[in-house]
Amino acid sequence: MQDRPHFVQCVWRALGAAALVTCWLAGCSGIKTYPNSLDKNLLVHTSTESGSILSRVRASLSISRVDAQCRTEYEGTIDLGKSHISVGVPVDRWSYLVFDFSSSGLLSNSSTMAQGTLLKPRAGYRYDIEVSYSDDLYNVVIRESRTRGDGRDVALRRLDTCQPGAPPAS
Amino acid sequence: MIDLPKNTLLIGAVLLAGCASQPQTADEFRKAVPGAFMAKTETVEVAKPFREVAANFQKRAPECLNVTVETVSQTTTSYQVIVAAYKPTVVVTGERAELHVQQDFKQGVMKVRAEPAGGHYLLVADAYPLDNNRTRLQLFGPSMGYDVLIRAVKGWASGQSLGCPDMTKIG
Repeated sequence: MQDRPHFVQCVWRALGAAALVTCWLAGCSGIKTYPNSLDKNLLVHTSTESGSILSRVRASLSISRVDAQCRTEYEGTIDLGKSHISVGVPVDRWSYLVFDFSSSGLLSNSSTMAQGTLLKPRAGYRYDIEVSYSDDLYNVVIRESRTRGDGRDVALRRLDTCQPGAPPAS
Repeated sequence: MIDLPKNTLLIGAVLLAGCASQPQTADEFRKAVPGAFMAKTETVEVAKPFREVAANFQKRAPECLNVTVETVSQTTTSYQVIVAAYKPTVVVTGERAELHVQQDFKQGVMKVRAEPAGGHYLLVADAYPLDNNRTRLQLFGPSMGYDVLIRAVKGWASGQSLGCPDMTKIG
């Protein structure tokens, strides 16, 4: 009969593990996939190199809506694993884009570096975003254009430049 | 168990920041670095006009270096969390463009001396105009552990790379 408490303990552990896995699969991590159902106005070009065969870097883009009080509401995340991904972001409304670069490796700790920017896409424009990570240096460059070839670079804007009731100038 | 390599560099950074007397200004930092432990000065010339170097400092420093980084080191017997906030300042005059980077440990590191607002000085980079659209860059900072930061600043000066340093790779 001494085995019974041990058996019960094992069952509880198994149930706990199952609950954790279920929770994770159900999205308890807080990360959800961005619906990406709007007209595609962002074309994200991504290149990542960790610089080592023992490690790798993954990039992702998280999108939040920003209200007049500068509060953010997380809408979802897109994995930037492919070199080109089209994304639809609401026009004429501020969004907060966060590009995450997550490093992991066999002989190193995992780490994540993020570059965030406010963006208010204009109707009729497209935004080419170059996202790169190489040799521990990362970069995000946003170019706004109406047609291929022309356009202007859009400066990155920190979230704390947003003033409640007076969002940053376009 | 302690993450020895990381902590050795961290101790070095703290020693650099805290040796003898804590520099309270960028100018005091410039004077302290040449004789400080694990610190160095370096001078390079770049084929870039001074105004472009200054413009790159003004654009990239706030975008790249206004960050807070949390580092977690975990072994079977220890768990350490260090939170460091970085603050860049760019000052441009007709004579030179200065980039100051300060580091403020918010968690996980004991501060033994009073630090200036924004944290101790970690790096100072001064750009001076030269003839023929060239610029001289003088760096004052740590001699090891911060290579990615120094590479990024040199890249901004030369214009060869405008990338931001992954500050999680420091140390």
